Amino acid sequence: MGKIFGRLGFYGVAIFLALCLNFIIPRLMPGDPMSMIFARFQGQMSPDAIVALRQEMGFTDAPILVQFYHYMTSILHGNFGVSTSLYPAQVGSVIWQSLGWTLLLAGASLLISFTLGTILGALAAWNRGGVIDRWVTPALIFVGSFPYFWLAMLLVYTFSYVFEIFPIGHAYSDGLKPSWTLGFALDVLHHLCLPAVSIILATLGGWILSMRNAMITTLGSEFINLAQSKGLTQRVVLFRYAARNALLPNITGLGMALGYVLAGSMLTEIVFSYPGQGFLLVQAVRNQDYPLMQGLFFCITIAVLLANWLVDLAYLWLDPRTRGAQT
Amino acid sequence: MNRFLWMSLILLATSFGCRQKVEAPVHRDYLVISTEPATAWIRNFNPFTAATGGGRWSTLAAIYEPMMIFNRMEGQYVPWLATEQKWMDASHKELLVTLRSDVKWSDGQPFQASDVGFTFDLLKRFKALDASGVWNFLAGIDIVDGLHVRFRFAKPFAPGILLLMQQAIVPEHLWKTVSEPVSYANENPVGTGPYTELRLFENQVYELARNPYYWQKDKAKVAALRFPAYPGNDQVMLNLLKGNIDLAANFVPAVDRVYVGKDPAHHHYWFPSVGNTVFLYLNNAQPPYDQAPVRKAISRALDRDKIVKVAMFNYTEPSHPAGLSKAFEKWRVSADEKSGDWVHYDAARAGRELDELGFKKGKDGLRRLPDGRVWSLDIGVVTGWSDWVRTVQIMAKNLRDIGIDARMRTYDFGAWFSQVQRGEFQAAIGWSNDTVEPYEFYRWLMAGSATAPVGTVASSNWQRFSHPEVDQRLEALAGSFDGTEQQRLVRELQMIFLREAPAIPLFPNPAWGTANTRYFTNFPGPDHPYAVLSPNYRPEILQVLTEIQPQNAAISKL
Repeated sequence: MGKIFGRLGFYGVAIFLALCLNFIIPRLMPGDPMSMIFARFQGQMSPDAIVALRQEMGFTDAPILVQFYHYMTSILHGNFGVSTSLYPAQVGSVIWQSLGWTLLLAGASLLISFTLGTILGALAAWNRGGVIDRWVTPALIFVGSFPYFWLAMLLVYTFSYVFEIFPIGHAYSDGLKPSWTLGFALDVLHHLCLPAVSIILATLGGWILSMRNAMITTLGSEFINLAQSKGLTQRVVLFRYAARNALLPNITGLGMALGYVLAGSMLTEIVFSYPGQGFLLVQAVRNQDYPLMQGLFFCITIAVLLANWLVDLAYLWLDPRTRGAQT
Repeated sequence: MNRFLWMSLILLATSFGCRQKVEAPVHRDYLVISTEPATAWIRNFNPFTAATGGGRWSTLAAIYEPMMIFNRMEGQYVPWLATEQKWMDASHKELLVTLRSDVKWSDGQPFQASDVGFTFDLLKRFKALDASGVWNFLAGIDIVDGLHVRFRFAKPFAPGILLLMQQAIVPEHLWKTVSEPVSYANENPVGTGPYTELRLFENQVYELARNPYYWQKDKAKVAALRFPAYPGNDQVMLNLLKGNIDLAANFVPAVDRVYVGKDPAHHHYWFPSVGNTVFLYLNNAQPPYDQAPVRKAISRALDRDKIVKVAMFNYTEPSHPAGLSKAFEKWRVSADEKSGDWVHYDAARAGRELDELGFKKGKDGLRRLPDGRVWSLDIGVVTGWSDWVRTVQIMAKNLRDIGIDARMRTYDFGAWFSQVQRGEFQAAIGWSNDTVEPYEFYRWLMAGSATAPVGTVASSNWQRFSHPEVDQRLEALAGSFDGTEQQRLVRELQMIFLREAPAIPLFPNPAWGTANTRYFTNFPGPDHPYAVLSPNYRPEILQVLTEIQPQNAAISKL
């Protein structure tokens, strides 16, 4: 237990550093957020109104340290401020509205991709030179090397536009109101298929390859020979002995991927008009909406750290050696 | 494992079964409009911040209405909430506006002069709401009686009429209790417009149903407007081609083949060149671009026919020499005006002129500046704005052909915008003011008062041009109420433009508009040009949204 919480201090420092970077990075971008609002007007807004709006939105010429102090104190109060590009919407509520859809899409596809990839990778290494090893893996690696969004566009064009099997976009049919009914769930699932498949196809190859490589190393170990000679069934040797040990590098990869869930499905979401955070981030960056950017980056940071912590826990469970070090 | 597999197979099969429902219905009562890019709607119907991006597009297009609408196709005012506006005195300092008596708010309350008075008072009290700056020229507003308001001007200012007439009016009885109107999200809007009733609001789609009390009883016959959220052009295009969108403002490449060809009976487009003109701005604060002959020679080297054909898919035409689009038709000087011949492509003459000005070519074929350096020119453009990028590529090639080492430089929008505003650029492609007032157009483009020193942000006149004659004519124009006098002054401004070439006009932006007539009819078009089809123009689109009718209603009328 001490091990689990002992690292919390490390996470605290990491969060603080991330918060600092969130503050600094947007401000290093060229351009000025206020003139972005101006820009959408193509010159038709009076300068007086701009000045007044600027004050209203909380832009100040205060020294950077004062701004930093305000930023930190409001974050500590859980207040991310008001989005300037979606003014006067609160950053918190804007993010909250889209968070669920992103978690659903990216989370589901990541878990499917990881599980499937790990199993296929283990099997590929177990039957070296078999069908999975020789054909499925290289094919998926090939598909996975396409850019995400290009694969997504190809899928939309083929399955939504030409064959009309799946909807062109959105997370559910336009006339429906979200509700906890089976009909709505099926509708969501129907809309989820294509974007999820595009992410899975793009990432599956990587999982297979890393699992396969780890498996091959593990299969050459003495304890596998021991297990074999003990006369254990092949299934037990494969899953309980080899796969469990080979899983470790993949778990690390999963932790990193989990963290990127919030940001990683960005392009996919845009291609499928999925109401998640993808376009929100693009919009925030394009309009130099500092509060919204800070909010989104904060979410991503938290997700990465949370995922790391979960990986730490998983390691303790999977690898008794890490537990041993403690006692 | 097996059970899970079966379950997912069944789920997948049933979800395939759902697709029957997704297919296009024979009839639908809602008109689908696509305008703002988004993936999730924010519930904000504040008409004052709608223009700055906070509020939804529909706020100024369907919910709140102005007193009059300037129709750029006809070049005149269309009375809307007001029936008449007239000057009460010879000095043009008091404008009397007569309002319609039969208008009701969508909650059933009557619309009155006090609502107009309240709205303008709100703009006065909250500067951030006064986007068009009406209180720069207004001194006060009086409510004469229930149907008349009097605007008192601080100084005679003819262009102010447009700004006053097109201001969206809000109901006093609801807004008087709003303490923070700037940050007010107005989630349940009440307006005088044709479509005011939010019958659906979800993050990816919302619908506005007809206003039960709408004052134009025989118009606005569509049951509801639906707004799906799409993040970009690609998603809109797919849905457009599938016939899922009825009215959109999107650039469509090769529109005749790609869009019309899909369903020639129902798919229509209309891209009239009435938008703002796109210019090549040469920084007047940097030599050698401070000399008008140099600017003219550069302009002569540009092949606008090719730009229009290749970069703009022939959707527009080479600009009028003085940069005025068709929206200014009645003001424009003849396109054959001798002094404006520098907008015509003549590379040989451009080369000769530069030779005469002393920019001789070196052995490498590149011209030299007076200090002996090679003449290089960076033209800035926004990354990914593909029509502009293509335009700049053609221009850079044109300029290299006459010996100027021109290069395209692509920047992120923020960086490009910051450079042009601060005047820290050599050359850049950019928009101009999207207005129908010649005064506003030329003030933005070349008034000395509209610019700022290099290094400081100037929202207009990015190229830092100034000329006393321009400022003097603009001032005279602002105070002129006589048609002939205005014509003369606008003509003089154009002649100064032709003489000085403060900026290089390229082509007017088309007003992008596509319409699908499968379910609805009576959209404007080239043979029925009662207003601009493009939803990009508010409040002009109100005219279109009130005229569109369901297809079957039109048939029964026949």
